[in-house]
Amino acid sequence: MYFYLKHVKGDLSAPRRSRRKKMSLKSERRGIHVDQSELLCKKGCGYYGNPAWQGFCSKCWREEYHKARQKQIQEDWELAERLQREEEEAFASSHSTQGAQSLTFSKFEEKKTNEKTRKVTTVKKFFSASSRTGAKKVAQEKNLKQGQLGRERNADNILRDLKEIFTPSWELASPTEAEIQEAKAPSPSINRQASIETDRVSKEFIEFLKTYHKPGQDIYKQCKMFLEAMHHKRELSIEEQSECAQDFYQNVAEKLQTRWKVSPERVEKAMDQIEKYIMTRLYKYVFCPETTDDEKKDLVVQKRIRALHWVTPQMLCVPVNEDIPEVSDMVVKAITDIIEMDSKRVPRDKLACITKCSKHIFNAIKITKNEPASADDFLPTLIYIVLKGNPPRLQSNIQYITRFCNPSRLMTGEDGYYFTNLCCAVAFIEKLDAQSLNLSQEDFDRYMSGQTSPKKQESENWSPDVCLGVKQMYKNLDLLSQLNERQERIVSEAKKLERDLIDWTDGITKEVQDIVEKYPLEIKPKNQALAAIDSENVENDKLPPPLQPQVYAG
Amino acid sequence: MSGPRVDAKVVLLGKEYVGKTSLVERYVHQRFLVGPYQNTIGAAFVAKVIAVGDRAVTLGIWDTAGSERYEAMSRIYYRGARAAIVCYDLTDGSSFERAKFWVNELQTFEENCRIYLCGTKSDLLEEDRRRRGVDFHDVQDYADEIKAELFETSSKTGQSVDELFQKVAEDYVRFTAFQLMTEEKGGIDLSQKSSPYFYSCCHH
Repeated sequence: MYFYLKHVKGDLSAPRRSRRKKMSLKSERRGIHVDQSELLCKKGCGYYGNPAWQGFCSKCWREEYHKARQKQIQEDWELAERLQREEEEAFASSHSTQGAQSLTFSKFEEKKTNEKTRKVTTVKKFFSASSRTGAKKVAQEKNLKQGQLGRERNADNILRDLKEIFTPSWELASPTEAEIQEAKAPSPSINRQASIETDRVSKEFIEFLKTYHKPGQDIYKQCKMFLEAMHHKRELSIEEQSECAQDFYQNVAEKLQTRWKVSPERVEKAMDQIEKYIMTRLYKYVFCPETTDDEKKDLVVQKRIRALHWVTPQMLCVPVNEDIPEVSDMVVKAITDIIEMDSKRVPRDKLACITKCSKHIFNAIKITKNEPASADDFLPTLIYIVLKGNPPRLQSNIQYITRFCNPSRLMTGEDGYYFTNLCCAVAFIEKLDAQSLNLSQEDFDRYMSGQTSPKKQESENWSPDVCLGVKQMYKNLDLLSQLNERQERIVSEAKKLERDLIDWTDGITKEVQDIVEKYPLEIKPKNQALAAIDSENVENDKLPPPLQPQVYAG
Repeated sequence: MSGPRVDAKVVLLGKEYVGKTSLVERYVHQRFLVGPYQNTIGAAFVAKVIAVGDRAVTLGIWDTAGSERYEAMSRIYYRGARAAIVCYDLTDGSSFERAKFWVNELQTFEENCRIYLCGTKSDLLEEDRRRRGVDFHDVQDYADEIKAELFETSSKTGQSVDELFQKVAEDYVRFTAFQLMTEEKGGIDLSQKSSPYFYSCCHH
């Protein structure tokens, strides 16, 4: 059902478009000058309005708001209940043959065609209604249809569409908002899953709150208000949004304790559920938001961990022996847990992943060392696990948890302890240098530049029970690197030979040139030479003595 | 999954092998084990309920890595801690020098954190007096100077271990009670004012 809802809404509106449409319809309908409506109460009671109250005066705003809120709360409950019903039906029909998430293709197709036809009819209805009777009539129709709400599904759909156009954004129930947003985002299958999860969480939340009776209703109201408030605060910096969330946690907890006299344990439980509910909804706006450089930091950490692939457990003094199958099993589980953290939406679930990972690490240490792990054992192992796993979006996740987790949990409890250790591990990895691994600076630089790997030297003294294939691989790697070395040597020798040859030819050429320069070959014209001999020695007096003609004469 | 609610964070600081883990082990499980440990998988984090008068306080005890290579990160650990137990080995003078380092850090960055100096392995001194590497009076003077409590403990015999944690819990109760009192003097209910989610209005 809501698949269809999403679809239509996605088509109709990026929210901005719908808002513009809403504005134009509104001014048309009311016929109030836009500039004046900004000053006076929209209800026309004569008092001045205020943008903070959606253009109403304080009194009218209060009335409107109260009405809208009541209506919205009731509708939310109805929607939630309906969703639950449908979900259960869908679940029953699909789950009997398939896994919870995957529908068979034919069923999916069926659903899709259903969606299409329904969409077409409603859109037609919608347009025909508005073109025939104008906006005012639609508004009346809205009221009319309101009476049939819950009985007729299509009417309900139109109503929701209309509501989106006519109601001020503050009046919109957040599940609808969430759905619109979801329809907007790029990948439909992920969205569908995400919205299924969102709905499931809402349902569970409502179920949970029922056990709290009156305070439960109050909690629900407050959560709704908070989500609306956050919707308008999306432009604010993430730190400010985080502060709002933290304030909200604190206020709700205090109110539960002081006004409703709920026991601390139950407050704790309720707080967990509240966090789950609101953070499932806020996740995509506040996780790794574009306004921060979280993403950049993620990439930096990721690159850094990749560059440190050569770090061995020995260098970190990790008290874990992965040759024991049980231990390597634990290590793999720990890595899986820490990677899984990124897939969770609620801060507390993310923390639970870290805790699970930590427990596996403790087990690994315990099996290796045969005694319980201390922090001196634990932290290096966690660092090693993070290096090995390279969990996605590590920095974003840490930031998100810090900003939006219920602080009481983060500061003191067990989850907080492991989270702090993870922060330390990341800080260590960022700052890691030769000294912190007990390496010389040269070795560290060589490993970092990828020239050599410390693992190669170790391949000789591997224990016998290591997988044969891996052993062979390392042997082959060794051979290859030897071959590589030889080849490099040959190439360099060949280059040397080439250089020598060039030098040799150059040398010879130079020598020849020198000789030529030294003894220039002058070929005098033959006749002239003879003539010179035969001619009277005009310049005899200029000739050096041995060439004096007298010698010949004598 | 999430474990019990914790009232106060207590962080253990100290050089490697001064016996932080053994101290926790002794306190929480009342034992000192030399060989293979049996039941616990880790003693890095422990939550322990302590009775103070008619109140039950849950201390979350955080063990930290003492190696110098993690020194730069230690600040992340003691952030928000209500108490810090700074451990040193009574037979090892260098461990006390390191303890001073943490005391300085704590005083600079975590003003609200109470400091407890804890000499460990006092049973080794019982066996042989000459093994003492840190003079008691020097430490006592230092403790007075930094307004810290001083305990000489043995995780093997259990000497002063319970007293140490009991004191930590009592101080926590005493000082938070005091803080609450001073806060209430202000007479303003901040919780009502600071909530932007309840729209208040002059019309009634």
